[in-house]
Amino acid sequence: MKITLHLNDKTLNLEVRPAESLLTTLRNLGYFGVKHGCESGECGVCTVLVDGKPVNSCLMLTAQAEGHQIETIEALGEHPQQGWKLTGGLHTLQQAFVESGAIQCGYCTPAQILAARHLLDKNQTPTEAQVREVLSGVLCRCTGYIKPVRAVLRAAARLRGEQVEPIDGQEAGIPAPPEWQGGSGGDLELSGGRDTALTTRVMPKVTVTPETTTWQRVGKPEIKVDAVKLAQGKPAFTADFEKRDMLVAKVLTSPVAHARIAHIDASRARALPGVAAVLTWQDLPRVVYSTAGQSDPIPGPLDCFSLDNKVRFVGDRVAFVAAETEEIANQALKLIDVTYEPLPPIFDPAEALKPGAVMLHDEPEYVNFAESDAKRNLAAHIHIDIGDVEQGFAEAEFIFEADYEVPKVQQAHLEPHVVITYWDEDDRLVIRTSTQVPFHVRRILAPVLQLPVKRIRVIKPRIGGGFGGKQEVLIEDVAAHLTIATGRPVYFEFTREEEFIAARSRHPMRVHLKTGVKRDGTITANAMYCLSDTGANGAHALTVTGNTGHKSMALYVGDGPYRLNPNIQFIADIVYTNHPPAGAFRGYGVPQGFWPLERHMEKIARELGLDPLEFRLKNALRAGELHPFSTAWSEGREPRPEYIETNGLEECVRQGRAAIGWDEKFNNPGWHTVPGQPHLRRGIGVALVMQGTAIPYLDMGGASIKMNDDGSFNLLVGATDLGTGSDTVLGQMAAEILGVPLEDVIVYSSDTDFTPFDKGAYASSTTYISGAAVSRAAQKVAERIQLRAAKMLNARSDGLEVTPEEIHLADRKARAPDGRFVTLSEVGHHALHHEDQEQIMAVDSYVSPVSPPPFAAQFAEVLVDVETGQVTVERLVMAVDSGVIVNPITASGQIEGGMTQALGYAVCEEMVYDERGGARERNLRDYHIFMAHEMPELHTIFVETFEPSHPFGVKAVAEIPMDGVAPAVGNAILDACGASISANPVTPEKIWLALHKSS
Amino acid sequence: MISEYHRPASMDEALALLSRKNHKTVPLAGGTVVNQPRDESWAVVDLQDLGLDTLQQRGNFLEIGAMVTLQGLLAVDGLSPALRQSIQLEATYNLRQVATVAGTLMAASGRSPFASAMLALDARLQIQPGDKHMELGEMFLSRPDGLAGQLVTSVTVPLNVRLAYHSVARTPADLPLVCAAVGVWPSGRVRVALGGYGQQPIMALDGPEPGGLEEAVRIAYAEAGDTWASAEYRRETAVILVRRGYEEASSIPVSA
Repeated sequence: MKITLHLNDKTLNLEVRPAESLLTTLRNLGYFGVKHGCESGECGVCTVLVDGKPVNSCLMLTAQAEGHQIETIEALGEHPQQGWKLTGGLHTLQQAFVESGAIQCGYCTPAQILAARHLLDKNQTPTEAQVREVLSGVLCRCTGYIKPVRAVLRAAARLRGEQVEPIDGQEAGIPAPPEWQGGSGGDLELSGGRDTALTTRVMPKVTVTPETTTWQRVGKPEIKVDAVKLAQGKPAFTADFEKRDMLVAKVLTSPVAHARIAHIDASRARALPGVAAVLTWQDLPRVVYSTAGQSDPIPGPLDCFSLDNKVRFVGDRVAFVAAETEEIANQALKLIDVTYEPLPPIFDPAEALKPGAVMLHDEPEYVNFAESDAKRNLAAHIHIDIGDVEQGFAEAEFIFEADYEVPKVQQAHLEPHVVITYWDEDDRLVIRTSTQVPFHVRRILAPVLQLPVKRIRVIKPRIGGGFGGKQEVLIEDVAAHLTIATGRPVYFEFTREEEFIAARSRHPMRVHLKTGVKRDGTITANAMYCLSDTGANGAHALTVTGNTGHKSMALYVGDGPYRLNPNIQFIADIVYTNHPPAGAFRGYGVPQGFWPLERHMEKIARELGLDPLEFRLKNALRAGELHPFSTAWSEGREPRPEYIETNGLEECVRQGRAAIGWDEKFNNPGWHTVPGQPHLRRGIGVALVMQGTAIPYLDMGGASIKMNDDGSFNLLVGATDLGTGSDTVLGQMAAEILGVPLEDVIVYSSDTDFTPFDKGAYASSTTYISGAAVSRAAQKVAERIQLRAAKMLNARSDGLEVTPEEIHLADRKARAPDGRFVTLSEVGHHALHHEDQEQIMAVDSYVSPVSPPPFAAQFAEVLVDVETGQVTVERLVMAVDSGVIVNPITASGQIEGGMTQALGYAVCEEMVYDERGGARERNLRDYHIFMAHEMPELHTIFVETFEPSHPFGVKAVAEIPMDGVAPAVGNAILDACGASISANPVTPEKIWLALHKSS
Repeated sequence: MISEYHRPASMDEALALLSRKNHKTVPLAGGTVVNQPRDESWAVVDLQDLGLDTLQQRGNFLEIGAMVTLQGLLAVDGLSPALRQSIQLEATYNLRQVATVAGTLMAASGRSPFASAMLALDARLQIQPGDKHMELGEMFLSRPDGLAGQLVTSVTVPLNVRLAYHSVARTPADLPLVCAAVGVWPSGRVRVALGGYGQQPIMALDGPEPGGLEEAVRIAYAEAGDTWASAEYRRETAVILVRRGYEEASSIPVSA
């Protein structure tokens, strides 16, 4: 049908299909600032303004939009300088989002900005609550909303003509007291409610280390290097890409949980006009592999095929279709005739291990890893003994034993899995994909596609969030097989429902804990058994669950003689079931360990009448001590001893307890009640946590740095920025060493043809591993510059001879001690054009012998309705030792966003299946993730330590915020009302049941 | 999938399209439900040009045009705070810009806060052709085909009913696991709707006074168990919410 569309400043006459959504039309027209995130309107990333109101374009027919004014992000500002043309610059809102660190992955940013614009057009003096209300239509999985809210308030102030403070104002850089004792610490002011005051602050509190004081770039709240393009909604993501004759792929998924495909006939589908290819298991080479995006060799079984003659979960792959349009592809799926020969399904992981249970993986190609045993449905088995737990239990005065359970949950990145594949002019296969692991994609898919590695090029554009979900080589093969079959470009993107039924998730586990304690609170032995449900495939089965033990069970070694010789046992069975496969999810097994461990510690402290903080610190790992697991297990590889160099845990506790007012609240009966509301109780809780920083002796990152004429640098890294800000912090490290502002470092990541190898974004490793690689490469480049600058200065003969080592790089200059200098632009011109010409360039890489753990104290405050069990989390405070903080804004964004995801793990997120293996959660309505207007207060405190194994003293920040929120909330609920909940999420009914049982 | 799009300029034209026998045709209000991808093929009749987006106060009643959006209803001065709350909990800010009052009610499941509140208010639907009226609860039971070929043109609610809305959910803005809306009329009439479960909210009580209220609630939610919450939990919690709701609604000052 023909319609007229008023779009931004244009009037367009278009031919559209009746069913066509405004989202589809806009993206077909090249308005790529409008994103796809779901099909049911919950996520809001497809927001456009319709007559000034924020509307989800996925749920509006283009025909409906006729007669209305449509505005997209493209109608707002643009880069202030376009060569000789000066523009009006960015819109005030875009500028504020850029400055405030409101942009992480940037996938929801255009939608947030448009929603905010709608508000500020009506009201330039909004309250924080009003801003949160308006932003509540747009889900964000990265930020925790603090910085977007602050950005809108900042823009409002600017629009009112007010002066706004620079972001790096007085909130930053509170110096640490010399000995970290005395002083009051934690001078954050917490407000009473969201309406009364501005509770959101862009800058976290940072207690800085002395080593960092002379740095110019590292430690500063630099603007993210990708912020300006993301604020404009530029076509930066995988799907924002046009290619002639591109086909659309769809996958037929299994409606049954376990069956053999007795018969499959795709002839009717192939005959449908517009269908370019249909592939079934009969059409593809049978190559067994693992989808886990990990280094070679994969530390897990090889147990999957692109297409198999068996289906193992509802949502498993049955056939691939490529067609001219999505509609035709969907139609073709219905024309594929499949006869399923049902097999008994297994949903209970305990049943999977029983003798006689049906085998999920009876294929002869199955390749074991370590103790995996397909005959027993065992994807992995772990048995770690440190010391002698039986001896430790014998020495204990009390034994505490309990069972816990953690649920399956979804990463729910707002950009779905999406890939585009095509043959380039050299007949090399290009895979443009939203991945955390471009180099692993290339290596793992080469045999599957029967191409050599050298004939595959993987391009990772901007990524709209990953959280581990994209550490999986999950859908690239679908498009690639179809490109091979048709010779044409193929585009494949998951729907939100496919994300829920066919993508990966966090491993659910049943955990048994047994702890021996002396009367004084000394832990004498600690044993954990995990039964982990890996679902239908064993990708990440061993390593995720191994980390459950390796990180959580390492925290409490015991006190006194037990510190030197702790007694710890960790045993795990990771079993196949007919649930969708689990995989990597931020935290990587560690949140699954800390829920039971920290709930257990709380119960022990209370039963023995010990202060929960003192009891924990008494037994916690300290600096100078051996990481107890380091000699026992290392992700399926050879373990080697690691000593803890830095541990700010005690200071984290001190700062966190002061910030949340622990001493005034804990044990204060008056605080626990609400006057006039006898059914309400307040509670406060804590959890201490640790994580790791990269995998030692394995994780490698590379970087190359090239100097240009003007003294700018190209920094090429294989590291994959998922929205975390890693490109920015890597650029900051290079800029620090090279003595230039960040804007002079052009960061590019990643392309397997151009950038050095990096294992990818996982294991909290990029700032540490890739950062060390960048620092080394920058150091080499700096040395070349020093050499040349000394030569240039000495050639002038206007002062004393200088040696290269005396040259200092800062402020875009190479400066001699007497103040003479050459600019880096002069050095660049000299090197490329004038004399002894050379390309100043260096490449380096880094692999670490250690994995220094970050530590944190997580506090939570809750309000519980003891009649209904409803729990409201009111406040989360996290004090974190992540080593030196390279960028306080991006780092605190990681903590805020991580705490928000972890809050979902605490109270609402879970994936539930019916008796036939069908998923209950198939959209973001049932799978509820926190929205802007229902957030508790979040506060982040960084307690810096200087990790000596890294040139800038950094440790990891990315995953640790996932670990402590759920147990801290669980402990706060116990504190509030006595309900001790063993399985998260803590839902109202669980609390109600616990209270009813006890009463 | 939507096979045809029509945007009639008159009610007659709309009704003619909706009553076609040979082609399944449904009204398109905001589109937040109808426009979601589905296998079924149907034609849609966009109601946006029919002038159904008006609000009119008639005595103690508010007549809400079928195409008034949820956000539009929120903007009405003097709307009961409980009804406002149910609207805010019904849909996200973006969805409220387009989701309409009638469309939301027509598509509501038991987990709908707004439909629960409207049921407690004894909302009535005006239907064309034939100037018919229908109670909301009756409409729920007549779905999906009871109104085929017809069109809800407005929804009327009383303005002098004191309303309370209470719910339990996993987070402050999540869909309710159980919710209760209690309306108290100036005459003393009490109407209690329960939600959070099933295909539609249900009436637990509509009587001249609150006698037997808790027993009625227990009976209404005796079997209200699913994977989100057990029947026992819903039943007992509903009693608490209704108790609180009745207390709150009765304590609201009667407006002039």
